[in-house]
Amino acid sequence: MPIDVTTVRKIAALARLRVETSEEERMARELAAILTYVEQLQALDLEGIDPTSQVTEGAPPALRPDEARPCEVRDDALSAAPDRDGDYFRVPQVV
Amino acid sequence: MTEAARPVADDPKAAVRARYEPVIGLEVHAQLKTESKIFCSCSTRFGAAANTQVCPVCLGLPGVLPVLNERAVRFAVMTGLAVGSSIRLRSVLARKNYFYPDLPKGYQISQYDRPLCEGGAIEILAEGERKRIGLVRIHLEEDAGKSLHPEGKEGVSTTRVDLNRAGVPLIEIVSEPDLRSGAEAYHYLTKLKQILVYLDVCDGNMEEGSLRCDANVSVRLRGAKEYGTKTEIKNLNSFRYVEKAIAYEIDRQIARIEGGERVVQETLLWDSARNVAETMRSKEEAHDYRYFPEPDLLPLDLTESWIEGIRESLPELPDALRERLVREQGIPEYDAEVLTETRSLATYYEEVAARSGQPKLASNWIMTEVNAVRNKTGQPIESFPIDAARLGDLVGMIAGEKISGKIAKTVFERMLEDPDGPAAIVQKHGLLPIDDEAALRTLAREVLAANPGPAAEFRAGKEKTFAFLVGQAMKQSRGRAHPEKLQAALRAVLAEEG
Amino acid sequence: MTPAPADWAEASAEQIAESVRGGKVSAEEVTRATLARADRTASRLATFLHRMPEEALASARGIDEGRSRGTTLGPLAGVPIALKDNICTRGIPTTCGSRILEGYHPPYDAHVVERLRAAGAVVVGKTNCDEFAMGSSTENSAYAPTRNPWDLARVPGGSSGGSAAAVAAREATLALGSDTGGSVRQPAAFCGVYGLKPTYGAVSRYGLVAFASSLDQIGPFARTARDTALLFNAICGRDPRDMTSRPEASPVRLEALEEGVKGLTIGIPRDILSGEGIAPAIRACFERAVAALTRSGASLRDVTLPHAKHAIATYYLVATAEASSNLARYDGVRYGLRAKDGNLTTMYEATRGAGFGREVKRRILLGTYALSAGYYDAYYLRAQKVRTLIRRDFSEALEKTDALLFPVTPTTAFGIGEKVDDPLSMYLNDIFSVPASLAGVPALSFPAGFDEAGLPIGLQLAGRPFQEETLLRVARAYEATDDAAARRPAIAKEGS
Repeated sequence: MPIDVTTVRKIAALARLRVETSEEERMARELAAILTYVEQLQALDLEGIDPTSQVTEGAPPALRPDEARPCEVRDDALSAAPDRDGDYFRVPQVV
Repeated sequence: MTEAARPVADDPKAAVRARYEPVIGLEVHAQLKTESKIFCSCSTRFGAAANTQVCPVCLGLPGVLPVLNERAVRFAVMTGLAVGSSIRLRSVLARKNYFYPDLPKGYQISQYDRPLCEGGAIEILAEGERKRIGLVRIHLEEDAGKSLHPEGKEGVSTTRVDLNRAGVPLIEIVSEPDLRSGAEAYHYLTKLKQILVYLDVCDGNMEEGSLRCDANVSVRLRGAKEYGTKTEIKNLNSFRYVEKAIAYEIDRQIARIEGGERVVQETLLWDSARNVAETMRSKEEAHDYRYFPEPDLLPLDLTESWIEGIRESLPELPDALRERLVREQGIPEYDAEVLTETRSLATYYEEVAARSGQPKLASNWIMTEVNAVRNKTGQPIESFPIDAARLGDLVGMIAGEKISGKIAKTVFERMLEDPDGPAAIVQKHGLLPIDDEAALRTLAREVLAANPGPAAEFRAGKEKTFAFLVGQAMKQSRGRAHPEKLQAALRAVLAEEG
Repeated sequence: MTPAPADWAEASAEQIAESVRGGKVSAEEVTRATLARADRTASRLATFLHRMPEEALASARGIDEGRSRGTTLGPLAGVPIALKDNICTRGIPTTCGSRILEGYHPPYDAHVVERLRAAGAVVVGKTNCDEFAMGSSTENSAYAPTRNPWDLARVPGGSSGGSAAAVAAREATLALGSDTGGSVRQPAAFCGVYGLKPTYGAVSRYGLVAFASSLDQIGPFARTARDTALLFNAICGRDPRDMTSRPEASPVRLEALEEGVKGLTIGIPRDILSGEGIAPAIRACFERAVAALTRSGASLRDVTLPHAKHAIATYYLVATAEASSNLARYDGVRYGLRAKDGNLTTMYEATRGAGFGREVKRRILLGTYALSAGYYDAYYLRAQKVRTLIRRDFSEALEKTDALLFPVTPTTAFGIGEKVDDPLSMYLNDIFSVPASLAGVPALSFPAGFDEAGLPIGLQLAGRPFQEETLLRVARAYEATDDAAARRPAIAKEGS
């Protein structure tokens, strides 16, 4: 499946990632090379093979008891916020 | 009679409508009443100041991991068992990837192709008929935070984000497209809420957001096998809006098709002020959520014995309770339906019925007098000022003819303010009935003396004035006169002097 | 006990802890010695993104005060340790080698950091790494490339290059890194130190900034096999905050490491050794190691790992898919970099465009693609199935063997700048390290020799789940026959 600049733009939009126009061609080329490499998996016969859902075997872990606990984070949740409005995080609005 | 031969009203719109069959499915999100969030120990309590019920996990800080809340799983399984779903022994939590400011991790942990519960059904009563609405699935997921969109200064708009709600556990209940009208949708939601409240897994409050509903609506010509194009309606904040919005959308789709246009698959927002559904302006591209199994949680493995344990501890559910009341108390289905609106109301009823020994009378009193007050005040039965014991005593007094039905209503009014028992209140306010023959005759004579004209008319043969005289006697006795005995006394006195 | 070393920065963790506990040396003195070494070499090597001399001395003094009050000191008392910068340290910068987290201070400590403090270790700084642990050379750090202490024109390996180099240069006695596809083992091999990737689930990931959730493990760096065990013991075990951490994980018994290899069977996967591309020096070293272990009493058995040749393709689909999702949270909303831009969507795009480097972007795009509609089955799902086959290969190979022995890398440390322009060629470096990551089994890189240029060669042991002890036992037996682990890079000898 060849990856071209149009595809790069589409995936970049999905991933909310800006790829500079000057970088688009290079990215497309590099991704195409990697995808060509991974094509080798298409040739394998995987009939009856389950995908790995967990790597270690063993009894399932215990679920967490339902107890509310005050947060241990000493700082105010907003202290690292790039922009805030009082008690709220603030972001530009969706168009 | 076949569909095609159904008589058609004079209203031309109805004629057109009758040619189409609406097909509706509902997706309901219910917030689970756990103490803590689904993946962290933050409190789920409603109403805290913004961004105070948060921690590194639900804030989506770098390096954090989710840990699944046992009670959230339990509540989801209870719900599935209550509606007859089959519970998967191994279900998988999955990431639903999209970007939004109230979604801290940039993905929501939900379930995709291996949900916890599959199948099941909810039975509704629609237009007097019982109808089975199938369920596709019930699955667990986490709630997002809240985005608020106030206008900023200089017209620059911003969004404010509060993450208190992020991580609150939800179950998503997806129905089959078995509903056929807005009214049926209303009944479905009512029944679903009832079940969730019976189980005590959810408050079921749409106005507060603990219950949310999106509707999928399509129409097709009656008899057609294929489904029509469906639209999704969001922003439905009450059961009534759901009903209205669906009715609106059905008509809108029919009008389009009749007008030669296609229905466009889209998401609409209900505007409850203007009673229309509008296309959502943004989100034009279909979402690609890129679901994959959540690697931080491992598959959820349950045992048969754990599930059976939950099944055994389920409370009696509305349908079973209703049937039991009909069977044990001999009351009509309609009554049982009303009385089982909540489990606490049903318990109240059973106590009143037992105390008074009068199942049908008890039912009447609750359905009319008690509920009339509650409809005005909005009180739940738990905080109703007349407890089951006192009401039971009152109903017992009526049955034992200690007071008349009419006096009982007065006593009832007093009992709302006065915590005393009905017998004490009757005493206190001199409401004892007058049923002694001598006293009634004295009363009759007083009334006749005070109303010579009507008395004479009656004796002259005008039967109608009898009712007037009875009324006067009742008035004078302040309702305490025993109705039948009073009438007998009055007739006797009239005959005496006649 | 061995006599006090001339320089405590050269001492093993075991000796330091014993001496501090026994009052033979103060934690403060040990810390000072180590800080002094780092003062000489850290800026040239660019090992640290954040050095913590004041905090380290304060911790050390705290330990000394504790000792004088009679408190029992932990198993790592006074041992200086460096932490990879993708491990969360409360109030201390944690950037993951990225601009998008420049200036970010986590409000909490990772589980392993809590354990280290309880054990009495002294954290001396946060080390450089490839951005978000994505890379095999530490050249993808947004800040600066770390240099290999054995040859400053060469890479230390990656992504935990800073941690490996710090231990090799004696800037810390121990270090922690993270290993997703080889990021502890490969830099350990390039820098001539021990590097262990524990069994998946043996060490809690709570507080490790996620790259690929089903592959990531925090792993120890040390200069001796016993020190590696000591550090592993201090951090392993179930943590209720990580549902993937396992109760089966248990500490290694130090005594067991002295038992030698008699009676152990070592599996040699001849099929993965058969390819070209393995440097002759590494091949020769491998054969010498096999001979040495045989002489020490181990039996050999040929095994195969038939699906290992698909491991890179599998890894670069599974890991990038998970990464694309794990890195979605870096959106400029709640922390980290935010690029001021018009609306929400352009803000996201500009923030992530400016904050992430090229390799991270490449992997996010690849992973997004592998999960996207229409491609999920062909890419992600298929890769997870091949992963099942690779896991099976390992369990079958380990049925009749106690450990497998094979190289860590096809070459020794390459030059800085040599591979940056060819991502695929960079990925192919991981050919020997990725299979054990996919299988979730423990794998250890141990110093085995040097090439003609004097660059370290590491070899790899892989074992059954939760059998870290066996791997360290074999490595300890080898250590007794060879001095590769004891040699120091020239930069570490300067002024000493």
